Amino acid sequence: MSVGLPFAVSIYWHLPVLLVVVSLVYSATRYDQWNMIFYEAARWGFRMFLFLGAIGIVLFLLSTYL
Amino acid sequence: MTPPASPLPPRKLDPFAAVLSYLVPGLGQIYQGRIGKGVLFLVCLYTLFFYGMYLGHGENVYLPDSNTKQNVLVSWKPLGDIENRPHFAGQFWIGMAAWPAILQYSRYDENDNSPILKGWMRAPKEDELNKLQRDGDKRWDLGWVYTVIAGVLNILVIYDALAGPAHREALKKTPAGKEPVAA
Repeated sequence: MSVGLPFAVSIYWHLPVLLVVVSLVYSATRYDQWNMIFYEAARWGFRMFLFLGAIGIVLFLLSTYL
Repeated sequence: MTPPASPLPPRKLDPFAAVLSYLVPGLGQIYQGRIGKGVLFLVCLYTLFFYGMYLGHGENVYLPDSNTKQNVLVSWKPLGDIENRPHFAGQFWIGMAAWPAILQYSRYDENDNSPILKGWMRAPKEDELNKLQRDGDKRWDLGWVYTVIAGVLNILVIYDALAGPAHREALKKTPAGKEPVAA
């Protein structure tokens, strides 16, 4: 593991803000009922987390081992 | 057995609420009485926008007075300047929060040492930009991405104020002669 890794990783700590806001706002533009807004937000948030996480892992592996 | 849902009548458009939601995210929804949702939009979008500005040291929302003569698409101002700084085309939609950038653009003077609003959203000088991007840890770039996403999300919020949410509650079918009610 390289010395610069914690520094490089630190930028990713800002991503949860983006994930939460995008999920909530997008869901709230699709529904008016709060239970549906939170349900959709959780669903979209989870999908985005998986998508971004997968890209992050691929980039990490490429930058570490290639 | 539950009666089948009947289609909803088309919702009347509300352009005034849409304008309010452009000016301040969620204000149109608050005006329509959907206060909780309006406050949610206001808090979320301003959090994202100003958090993005914070990451960019307050120097990533601006419209530069640039040389547009060699532009590929448009050479006349201000569209040529937007071509040179397309980020602002997204940031613009956050509403009044981005207006200081327009004010700074309209009164830009490279030699002015005491700009209005203490230089808030003024186009930074080239050496400042180079320093931010060279010496930073990519937060400046992440910051402008956040501000652009906040602006673009507000377009969805404006549409929600104009035409309502994408999915509405279905109406229960009622006996003939009676008004349908929300399920």
